[in-house]
Amino acid sequence: MKGWIGNILRVNLTSKTYKKESFTEEFARKWVGGRGFAVKILYDELKPGIDPLGPENKLVVALGPISGIPAPNTGKCIVAAKSPLTGFYGDGNLGTKVSDQLRKAGYDAMIVEGKAEKPTMLYIDDDKVEFLSAEEMWGKGTYFSNDWIYAKYGKNVGVLNIGQAGENMVRYAVIRSMEGRAGGRPGIGAVMGSKLLKAIVVKGTKTIPQADPAALKAAGYGDLKTVHEMDKKSGWSIQSTNGVLAWCNEVAALPVENCRKTSHPDAWKVDGERLNNARVATYGCPSCTMKCGITIHDKEGHESELDYENVALLGPNLNIFELDQVGSLNYLCDEYGMDTMSAGCTLSFYADAIARGAAKGDFKFGDAERGKELLGMAARREGKVGNLLAEGSLRMAKEFGHNSEAYALQVKGLDIAAYNCKFIPGQALSFGVGPMGAHHKEAWIITFELKNSTRDSYGADKAAKVIELQRIRGGMFEFMVACRFPWIELGWKLDNYPRYFNLATGLNWTLDDMWEVADRAYSMIKLHYIREFPDSTRKGDYPPAVWFDTANSDKEGPIAGKHLDMEKYDQLLQHYYDQRGYDKRGIPTKETLGKLGLSSEASAAEKYAKLS
Amino acid sequence: MKVTVKLIGPLIYAAGFSEKEITLPDSAAAKDLFARIKLDKKRPTIITRNGNAVSAADKLSDGDRIVVSPLYSGG
Repeated sequence: MKGWIGNILRVNLTSKTYKKESFTEEFARKWVGGRGFAVKILYDELKPGIDPLGPENKLVVALGPISGIPAPNTGKCIVAAKSPLTGFYGDGNLGTKVSDQLRKAGYDAMIVEGKAEKPTMLYIDDDKVEFLSAEEMWGKGTYFSNDWIYAKYGKNVGVLNIGQAGENMVRYAVIRSMEGRAGGRPGIGAVMGSKLLKAIVVKGTKTIPQADPAALKAAGYGDLKTVHEMDKKSGWSIQSTNGVLAWCNEVAALPVENCRKTSHPDAWKVDGERLNNARVATYGCPSCTMKCGITIHDKEGHESELDYENVALLGPNLNIFELDQVGSLNYLCDEYGMDTMSAGCTLSFYADAIARGAAKGDFKFGDAERGKELLGMAARREGKVGNLLAEGSLRMAKEFGHNSEAYALQVKGLDIAAYNCKFIPGQALSFGVGPMGAHHKEAWIITFELKNSTRDSYGADKAAKVIELQRIRGGMFEFMVACRFPWIELGWKLDNYPRYFNLATGLNWTLDDMWEVADRAYSMIKLHYIREFPDSTRKGDYPPAVWFDTANSDKEGPIAGKHLDMEKYDQLLQHYYDQRGYDKRGIPTKETLGKLGLSSEASAAEKYAKLS
Repeated sequence: MKVTVKLIGPLIYAAGFSEKEITLPDSAAAKDLFARIKLDKKRPTIITRNGNAVSAADKLSDGDRIVVSPLYSGG
């Protein structure tokens, strides 16, 4: 087997043991890596109904057959577990040297089981795994931990670590790496914390088996240079992802005040121009030549790395338009190790619930200083308010009652990314049918639906576009474990990815082969959902109710008086199910699962819901 | 007629301005406006008027706010 090493490292924190397990070529071809490996492993090894924060949950760290090669933007890693936020499969990807170091250590993935007795750091050095004390780092933030690890092992090791939010099992705690990268929005950092696992450090020295290493090296280095030149020519990384903020503001798609509004006259103060003007430094992931991480000095003087999602959700969505204050809120999320998007949505929901009289409290939209205090309270689970905020917007809404769930900006428990879909039906569908919840990495069709369709259309073309993009973004890029930015922002051709794959594995795959694996992975995530929530399948595929609310319509601007139409959304959702081969409940049919080679998984799923 | 043009992201640095008012003949279309801006015409863009997309042939009106953006694909 070329491309894949063929080994998974299994570590048990309870017994302090580890072993190397091999997988078959059939498994490799069926699931490829990354998200593909994680959905299959967790489906087979986790019992439905387990506590995501209990020792029986497992953390999967998974790479792909092109991880560790010098091709554009392949320095990523997938982290996955049963999500403490959503209650079923959850994952995230982050840039990290774990990508090549774990592969060089001899593994395509690792599974972490059990729970340590005391705060622990795993140190993987090729074939050896050490269970080291992490007590010096426990209670400290991610910047401290990362520095501590670098001081001990140098900067060439791969690092995954958590902050106080992970330790205290904040349900949207993330995993961090390289003093700036973060991943695992559905609370994968809290799973590490629940296991008393502060950090994973990886060092590898072996050669990764490849079918044609010389051709792969030549293609990879050449393409890194080409992507860099494309970026320079396009100017994309001048404003990076935050370039889109001004556009969202113009087309009424910006989340403002917990999505009550879709634009704001002060949005320019936090847009891409202002971010670029305030730039202190630029950071990126390994194997990246179009670096997107722009840092600024926050209000307190820390260096804070901003992108569109965190600017929009910690800024305009909280009615905060001072870039340095947005930087402060973002810095705290990074230091504590919590998802900036969920943190922004949780705070905006709290402010909205207080304003609407559903909750008592002293937090108002626009109050950055109180926002900072609340983030700290959430990370430490301090007092009643801190504990409440640590649970995330959906659980808070259930606690508050008063129909507040309607304006919790989440799908399946996962908070939205920064696109206000009050009148963008296709993107609302993308959030609704996001397999893990409202994640922007699955599909993003806003420019498509504005440019090629009409904004108020709910046609089958929009469902088809969502599926097309799911196959690419949430599919191929997640199981190959590569960043989508060269393709989406610079037009780097998708054919390059099967090309790298074929040079690595010696196979002869096309994009169609990739789409089949993508559909398989999506169906498996559905099966994860079905066995946890068998009665909620269609219900889980709706975007936040507030986007359907007449009273929440914009009072002025391009979409004044407009909102999503429930009857038409139902039709759009049905288009999606029909094209996916799902039944009216949103469950893949036996025929669909059979075509994807999932007949045995289908039989197992029938224990929870009868398949059509 | 006068229209306001707002450029987005990297287009600002290519064209040399972020936002400005441009005077056009009364019958001008979006493509006439586009021709007046120093941009790579092959670059895929989306042009919106008052928040909704327009085609190159669409006639403009006095007071329109026209936004020209690269075809972002969502972070």
